[in-house]
Formats: sequence, structure tokens, C-alpha cells
Amino acid sequence: MIKPLHMRPLIDRLARAMITVGGLATILSILGIFFFLFREVTPLFTTPTAKLTQRMVLPAFLTAEGPVQLAVDEHREIAQIVTSGGVQFIELASGQPIPMELPADLKSRHLTAMAHGGGRASRYAVGTAEGEVLLLKIGTTTEFSDSGERQKRPMIRAGRPLTLTQGPITTLAYRFNDRESVLAIFSQEGRLIVVRLPADEGAGIDPVITELTKPTATVTSLALDGSLENLYIGTMDGLVLHVALSDREPPAVKGGYAVTTPTTAVTALGFLNGDRSLVVMTAEGEVSTWGLIRRAEDQSRWRLTKMHTFRSHGAPVTAFAPSQRVKGFVTADAKGQIFLHHATAEQTWLTLSNGDSPIRAVTFAPKGDGLISFDGAGQLALYQMHNAYPEVTFETLFGKVWYEGYDQPTHVWQSSSGSDDFEPKLGLMPLAFGTLKGTMYALLLAVPIAILAAMCTSQFMHPDLRAKIKPIIEVMAALPTVVLGFLAGLWLAPLLERLLPAVAGMAVTLPVLVIASSLIWYLFPPAFRRRLRPGQEALLLIPILAIGIGACLWANSFLEAWWFGGDIKAWLSNRLDIQYDQRNALVVGIVMGFAIVPVIYSIAEEALANVPKTQIAGSLALGATRWQTVLYLVLLSASPGIFSAVMIGFGRAIGETMIVLMATGNTPVMDWNWANGFRTLSANIAVEIPEAPHGGSLYRVLFLAALLLFIVTFVINSLAEIVRQRLRDKYSHG
Amino acid sequence: MGKSSDSMKSFWRGGELFVWLTASGVAISLLMVGAMLALIMVNGLGQFWPATLHQIVLKTQEIVIGQVVGHEVIPNSVTPDRPNGLDRFRYRVGNRDVFGSEYRWVNGEDILSTMSPKDLTFVERREWGPAFGRLSIVGVDGMTESSDSQTWPAIGSLVEESTNLRQRIEHVERDEIGAINYRLEKARLERQALTLDGQLSPREAEVDRRLVDQIATLEQEYQAKTVALEQLHKEAGQKTLLLTLSNGRPLRLTLDQVITVSRPNDMSWIDKLVAYLHNLWLFVSSEPREANTEGGIFPAIFGTVLMVFLMTIAVMPFGVVAAVYLREYAKQGVLVQLVRIAVNNLAGVPSIVFGVFGLAFFVYALGGTIDQLLFPESLPNPTFGTGGILWASLTLALLTVPVVIVATEEGLSAVPRDFREGSVGLGATKFETIWHVILPCALPGILTGLILAMARAAGEVAPLMLTGVVKLAPALPLDSYLPFLHLDRKFMHLGFHIYDVGFQSPNVEAAKPMVYMTTLILILVVVLLNWTAVMLRNRLRKRFAMSAV
Repeated sequence: MIKPLHMRPLIDRLARAMITVGGLATILSILGIFFFLFREVTPLFTTPTAKLTQRMVLPAFLTAEGPVQLAVDEHREIAQIVTSGGVQFIELASGQPIPMELPADLKSRHLTAMAHGGGRASRYAVGTAEGEVLLLKIGTTTEFSDSGERQKRPMIRAGRPLTLTQGPITTLAYRFNDRESVLAIFSQEGRLIVVRLPADEGAGIDPVITELTKPTATVTSLALDGSLENLYIGTMDGLVLHVALSDREPPAVKGGYAVTTPTTAVTALGFLNGDRSLVVMTAEGEVSTWGLIRRAEDQSRWRLTKMHTFRSHGAPVTAFAPSQRVKGFVTADAKGQIFLHHATAEQTWLTLSNGDSPIRAVTFAPKGDGLISFDGAGQLALYQMHNAYPEVTFETLFGKVWYEGYDQPTHVWQSSSGSDDFEPKLGLMPLAFGTLKGTMYALLLAVPIAILAAMCTSQFMHPDLRAKIKPIIEVMAALPTVVLGFLAGLWLAPLLERLLPAVAGMAVTLPVLVIASSLIWYLFPPAFRRRLRPGQEALLLIPILAIGIGACLWANSFLEAWWFGGDIKAWLSNRLDIQYDQRNALVVGIVMGFAIVPVIYSIAEEALANVPKTQIAGSLALGATRWQTVLYLVLLSASPGIFSAVMIGFGRAIGETMIVLMATGNTPVMDWNWANGFRTLSANIAVEIPEAPHGGSLYRVLFLAALLLFIVTFVINSLAEIVRQRLRDKYSHG
Repeated sequence: MGKSSDSMKSFWRGGELFVWLTASGVAISLLMVGAMLALIMVNGLGQFWPATLHQIVLKTQEIVIGQVVGHEVIPNSVTPDRPNGLDRFRYRVGNRDVFGSEYRWVNGEDILSTMSPKDLTFVERREWGPAFGRLSIVGVDGMTESSDSQTWPAIGSLVEESTNLRQRIEHVERDEIGAINYRLEKARLERQALTLDGQLSPREAEVDRRLVDQIATLEQEYQAKTVALEQLHKEAGQKTLLLTLSNGRPLRLTLDQVITVSRPNDMSWIDKLVAYLHNLWLFVSSEPREANTEGGIFPAIFGTVLMVFLMTIAVMPFGVVAAVYLREYAKQGVLVQLVRIAVNNLAGVPSIVFGVFGLAFFVYALGGTIDQLLFPESLPNPTFGTGGILWASLTLALLTVPVVIVATEEGLSAVPRDFREGSVGLGATKFETIWHVILPCALPGILTGLILAMARAAGEVAPLMLTGVVKLAPALPLDSYLPFLHLDRKFMHLGFHIYDVGFQSPNVEAAKPMVYMTTLILILVVVLLNWTAVMLRNRLRKRFAMSAV
């Protein structure tokens, strides 16, 4: 115990240093939570970038006039280009063409039109100057050598040519499925033909060739969707025609839509990933997406409707490519500009300029991390892109968004689904709404009860009794919320469903009982009344209320029969148009209200009890009754404290997770109705984050939700705390 | 008339009505607390009481054997000529494997007669829930060996025999085969670690060969144990009980299926009490069965306690040091006041936010790094890079450190000024004053904070769901293999058990009583801890209120 004297100052200084460092580190690390959450969210909103990594001039035979198809493999090692002059693979690392023998059918032909088969397929269709079409497979195959190295090999396969017209084919669309391929062609002589080819060429089934009526204007572009049922025709005079195809009936024109104003030519049509949104591009440079939509008021008719408009190029759009992963796409124009868009977010998130040379073709790398373009000067340009979260913008998170398949813009949260080309819908508004809804219903119940109880124990109750009752109410705050959630979901929710008439009865009976008992009590002689210690009214009321509740429960069936025609759910649905869900806002309101009563009570009680006794005594001495004193003096003086109590209760309810997780049904609907469920931000995090891939957009959006909860509760609590501090200062000085 | 209107006026002005209205706030709060506790206790504690088995005969001559668990008026059955409606009873009929459901409703008007014969037997099984019926023993050859009068006395020893056998099987399965598996896994990982850099040096090759040998031996041992295990299973399956069900069909139960056999209708009060306590003990001390809907909750209790313990170890030094710094060393001013408010308010930040932080920081960032540095051989299987008891404890420590800081600060500030001045006046340095005078005085405050933190941690579930709790952990985080305490393991937790069994289990109805009991235990733990904290705090306040005089 006794230490050398000279060591003591040293130890003291050491201790000071250690405690300072330790204390600061602890405090900083707690506060660091905020910054860490922030850091996890920021990548969502970083500015996207694209960097030109390579530029190369292609051999002259590839730069001849005509259509171009570009592609690059997923590791961005080999690019392939198909032009009227032929097919060429290029090794990107060295910039050297890979020598390759072309199939005989392809070598001798001049290609005048070409189309990609859609999605990630390496399948193409080409049209020739002689009026033939050919199906091609052009891509790379990957092999692994014995030492585990990856080797890529170019591959070209050509199908049999099929002659359709006399003159050259100018425009072509191509899609396929397991059973068949469908081609739509437009030839120089103005013929519009649809061909169905069986998938297995050797099966001996003949192609079905149908000629459509000749359109009034020249066809500039064709697009077929993956269902092989819809053909869109873009014309010189700014129309898009919708033709329904079927293997049983002849093609029928379902509608013609003027897609540009003033009338300019449609220069290109294309589909987004999933083949549901049609992208229309014009000679004026306009870019818009359209979808087949059935309006609520006219369920029978599908109409092509404009969904999103993007930044205009101001020059004819010459090239288009969809992203192979998300609902993004790229367009490029005759002035050498390349625009990158995200359809659902309705934003053009990046513009690139490639000099003045018109872009002839452009395409995404399969992983969406690269872009390759081919321009009029015969140059191939390679960009490396970085935009991990194009679908997440401030507007898509908080605004109404028009998703594919919806008939109007809406707030939606739907993060996952069974289908492959599903687009996550990450609108936070339904969740924020649910959070507020739950909080409001909880406060509706908790605030009156808590404040009334606080007034009673702090003002009207004998101190001995108060010392017993206060801890009982406060210990409620310690109850694990999972317990309350369990009771809410498995006990109260099914019970309430059966006992709804009794609850409606209680809402009438209990206040009447309280009023009646106070009146009856007042009719007793004063001498008798004085025998009750102040505050024992509460204890007296417990059996009275219990009997009232019991009576209502007992009368449940009668109430249901007399008030609600024997079936309250039917009554609700017929009379009030309310569909009753078992797990609903009422259940959450009751149970979460129960959870925050002690929080509000505790703080409000403190505020009320801290009003100086001298002031109260003064008021009573001046002849005010105890209720008048409480109403006009105590309540008024303590109102900031009560306000802060409600704020803290609000903060607690906003972040509550387990109760809402277990008692709401977690349906992200936006509806204030008390009889249906909702989904809150907190429950949503608990439900979805275990399934969210680390670092993905869902993961980060959930972090954003957590950050929002953090900020909101922190600000609310701080405000409440400041109000309380002020109140405390006021009374400690005054 | 005039007098009464006068008194009405004074009643109104005096606000008597409103006083009663405020009293109703207190009354409702108390009623809600009371009702909730009563509900949980009745539902939780009631289930272990050996309830009477009824044998009822329906109008259709069908016989039902079961326990009454509910009674209600049939919805929409109240008509003017039947003001009381029709009632129906909910029976637990057991034998889920035969009847499809463990419960069934029986309409009151369908019942012809109700009896409770003494020979009705309640069989608790390892699978498919309980079975009710009449019992006889069947020997090895499958022939009935005994009549009913002989059966019952023999059952006790048979069940005991089966319990012993089951314990032996469990011992072989868990301890012996478990140990072999553990050593096998370790040897495999060591081999992988050797080849991690691609080449084997001659010495490494030597080690590798030894490991290969070791693995081969272990695998042989494993085979031997499996054979022994099969033998035991066979032995356990030889003797069977024959239960005649309510529908007259026989149900054959091998002895290793049976946990307890009882005849509740033939038991005295004392017997029932003993059985009750035994059931209660089984509940808290045994492992869960049937996807957690039956059996005990021992692993959940253990996981909760261990997690809270680890959290306490983490939270105490940091919370106390931070509070000492804030109160004793930091220059008091606006900044410190702001920090104080901020720390205080962190206690009000939703727990799910802490869970999210724990997932990203502890699990992914910290755990991922630890895996790459220390456990590269088992990648891509994460060791610390996934939820575990350590990360859950640390997350909860962050969640509760504000509680400790606030309580400790309160304790520190309550130490009277004279103590410090006296100590410094006697020549003690600042640290000596803190260490020898102030901290001991503030100890109750610190303890209060810690206990409150523990209570909060024991009841939190949302952050755990993201940082390492599971519905069924294969092993406890504490066992007999080095390093004994496995901080990377996932664990079970009482609160999560409630959520999981109540909301994710296939047989919620049958599991409900169990969840009530789990709930009761959780509430008891949390309320007791809170209560202790409040008592401590009151004592602290009184002590210094006196010494300050």
C-alpha cells in the first residue's frame, strides 16, 4: 500500500493520462457510431464516374457504312464487333485483333441490318443486301487450364440463311425463347415481314412467314419483346405502332402512338432489361421510356404510356444499349455524346463526350462496370465506370416512383421477389409512414393515461401511497419489449378480434363509470369522504374498472348481436368500409402505448412534482380548489416538462422494434386506418438486413433507415433534454 | 332542489370529477401491469401442473381422451331463444402423429358423458408431443407380457431404465463422438493452414503426413463409436410400450421414445406437487426438443446469462473510466455538458440502430479482418466474420454504456465535497483521492448503473437478431475443449426464444404455454435486476443524504 514518495506524482500523472485517454476514447467511440453509420450510407450518394481507359483505331474493313453490333465479355478482356464488313474479335489488353476464320455463309455476304437477341445472350440476327436473314452466335467461351488459369476463346456460329425479300433488309428485330425465334424485318422495297423459326433447325418444321400491311411511312426501327407477343414499329413520321403477335392468330395492329411532338422521326427503339419498358429515341434527341399499361378506369385496354422522360441529346440519337443487370441504359448521338440513364430513377446520371465524331454503337460490359463505344472515325473507346447504386436517388427513396407494371407513380417498398429480372423497389415512405402511424396510435393511448396518472400521483396523492405506486408504474419500463410483442401478437390480437364489441363497450362504459363513481362519492357525507387518504381514489377505482371491464367482456356476445348485427367484422366492412386485420394498429397502439406509459409518466411526474410547493400553497391559500391549482398553476408551469416527456415517449415509440415486428403483420401499406397493419423502419431493418447482401443497395438503404432513426431520436431526445434542463434551472434558481 | 344544484356547482368547480379522472390514469396503469403479470403467470406456471385427463363420450359414440384447455361461447350462437349461446370446449388430445393436431374443439351439446378413469396415462415423448391412452408393456418378442394390473408398478423401473439408456446414448453422441469430430476438424484445419501458401517445405510435409495419419485414426475411432451407438439404439428400441388410444387403436412406443409416464387422475395433491416441481426443473434444466416447442430452455438461459456476463465485463471499465473522466478530469464547461447530453441521449437511440452498427462494424469490419489475419485456413467459412456471442455482447455493451456512465456520474457527484477536500488536505494526490475515497463512496452508484445495464441487456432482442443469436445453437459457447470459452459461437437467448417459438415455429399453439413460461423467467430476471438497482440507488441516496448533514 505504501509506495515510494517520489513515485506518487508520477502515478498520479499516469493515471490522469490513462483516464483521459480511456474516457475520451470511450466517448468518441460511442459518438463514432453516428459517423460509422454515415460512412456506410454515403456510397449511395457518391457521384458516379467514368474514366476513358483505352482508345484504339480499328482496321479499315470494319469501318464501312452500315449497322454495328458491339459486345464485350464480363471480364472486359475481349471485345467483339460486327459491322457490314464482317466480324472481328479484339484483345483489349494489347489492342490487337484476334485472327479468326469466319463461317463461309457469313464471309461472302454484305450485312445491312443486325439485331441482338436480348438479355445476356450471345445470339444475333443479321440481314443481308440480298434479302436474307441469318441467325448467329457470336461470343467467347471460357475454359480453365490445368493450372487454373482462365482462357477465353472467340466463337462464331452461323445458321442457315433464309431468303425473305428481293432487296436489302434495312431494319431487323430479333428475340427467341426455348421453342422458337421470331424475326421482324423491314426491307428497302418497303415490306414488313414477321418470321417464326423453330429453335431446332433440323426438326424439319418450316418457318412461318407473315407479311404485314405496308405502313404509311418508312419504318426506321423495330423492337420485339421477350414474350414474342409484342412488336413495336417506329416510323419516319414519329409514330410507334404496337402489333400483337401470336402463333395462332394473324398479327393485329393494337394501336398507334404519336411519341414525339413536333413530329420527328423515331431513330431507335429498344427494351430495358426484362423487355417490359420500351425506350423510344428520336431524331431531335428525345429519350423516353414507355410501357403497356392498363388504367384503373379502363381495365380492358392496354395502352402504351409514357413513363419517364430523360435529358434530351439535342441531336439524333444513333445508338442504344440496355444494362444487362438493372433498369439502366445508355444512349448516344450524332454529335458524339454518350448519356447514361437509369429508367426507374428517371435520371441521366452521367454524360460523356467522345469528341465530335458520331457514335455508331455503344454497349455496357455485362457487369455494368464498363462501357464500350464505336464512333464514325472508326475508333473503339473503352470506359471504366463506377456507379454502384444508380437505382437509388433521393427521389426514388422518398418520392413517388413509376415502376414497371404499375399504372402510376407510387410509394412502394418491395425489396425482393421470386423472379429474376425483378427490380427492387426501395421507397422509404411507406415505412416512414408506418413508423409514424404506430407512434401516433401508441401516443394516443399513452399520453392521456400517463399524464393523468402523473398528475394524480404528483398532486393528489399522499406521499406514502405515491412512494408505493410510482415504482410499480416505472418498473413497467423495464419490461422487455419482446414480451409485450409476444403478448400483442399471440394473445391480444386474436383476443381483440373476438372481443372487439366488448372493447367498443369499454370505450363507453369506463369513462361513464369514472364519472359516476366520482358523483356517487360526492354524495357521501363529507365526514365519511375525509376518511379516504388523498389519492386512494385510484385504488378505489381499480375494482370498479375491473368490474366494468369484466362486464363488458361478459356482454361481448350481446353487444355484438345488438350493436353490430351479430358480426362486427361484417358490420365494419359494410358500414364503415373497414377490413379488419388481426394484427393491426389498434393492437400496436394498446401494447406500445403500454410500453411508453412509464417513460412519459416518469418524466412528466418529475416535472409536475418539481413545481415549488410554496406556489401551490399560495394558490390554495388564495381560495383555489386543488383542481384549479393543478390546472392553472402546476400544469402550466410544468408544461415544458410534460412536453419533453411526450417527446421522449415519441422517440421511444419511433424506434421500438420487437412490438411492431410481432404485432403489425409487417405489410408496407400507407393507410391511417386503425384496423390494418403497417411496417415500420425499425421492423423493416430487423426483417430484411439478415437477407441483405453485404454492401448491396438494399443493405445500404437499410443503413440509411437506421441512420434516419438515429438522427430523429437523437434530435428529439436532445430537444426534450434541453427543455428539461431549462425547467430544472428555472426552479433551482427561482 | 336549490341545494343540490349548489352542490353540483361546487362539485364541478372543485374539480372532484377531474381528480377522479386523473386517478383513473393510475388505476388503468396498475390494472394493466397486474393483468399482464397475472396472465403470464397463470399461463406459464399452469402448464406444469398434471391436469386431469378426461374421457368423454360423444353423441356419435366416439371416445375422446384429453385435457380441457379452453372454453368459449360459439361465435354467433347467441339468439333470442338461446341468450347464453352454445358453448364448446377445447381439448388437448395429444397424439399429434395419429390425430394430426394436438388440440380439438368439442361442442358442449355433443357430449354424452364425461369421466376421468384412473388408468388413463399421460406419456411424454421425445417426438410428436404427448400421448394419452391406456398402457401395457410389450416385450422383446412383441407379445403382450403383462396385464394392466401388473403394468403400472413395472413402468417406473422401465422408464428409469430408458432414461439411463438415453443418457448413455447422449453421452456417446455428444461427448465421445463430439470430441472426435472436434479433433478431426482441428486436424483438417491444420492441414489447410499448411497448404495455405501453396507449397510444403520438407518439415511441413512431415507434419502434414502426421496429420493425415491422425485423421485416419480418428476416422476409425469414429466408425467404432458409430457402431457402438447403433448397438445402444437397438437396445433402446427393443422394449416397447403399447398405448391404447381413445379410438381403440394401439400405438407402439419404443422405450427410448418415452420421457415420463404418469397417471394424473391417480395422483394425490402431494404427488402432483412433486410432479409439478419436477416438470419445472426439467423445463429450466434440459435441452429443447421438436424445434424448440417442447423440452427445456437451458441453452437459452445459459446463453442469456453468459452474454450478459460478457457484456458486463466489457461495459464496466469503459463506462466507469468515461464517467470518472467526465466528472473528475474534464474541464467542466459547455462542451462537456453537450457531451453529457449526447451520451445521455444515446440511451434513447433505438436498439435496432445499435444492432445495425454491430453488424456492420463488429461482424463485417472487425470480424472480417480478424478472419483474414488469424483464421485464413477456414475461409471462406467465417469464424468471427459472422454473428457470435462476442459481437452480441459488445453491441449490447455499446447500447448500455450510457446507462453506466450516467449512473456512475450520479454516484460520483453525490460524494460530498468534504470527502475530497479532506483527502486532498491530508496530502493525497488527485488519483489517490479518486481511487481510495471517491470510487468506494460511489460504488453503489456504479453498481446501480451496472445492474440497470444488465437488466436492459437481458431484455433486448432486436440488436441480437443481427449480431449472433440463433433459434437453435448446436453447442453451448462454453465447453470442455480449448479455449473453453468460444466467443465466435452463436448462442440462444430467452428473448429471441420467445420471438422465434411464438412467431416462427410450425406449432405455435402447442408451444404457447412454453413461451409464457420463458416470458415469465425473462420478466423475473429483468424485474429482479431492476428492483435491486432501485434499492441500491435508494440506499445510496439515503446514505449521502445523512452524511451531507
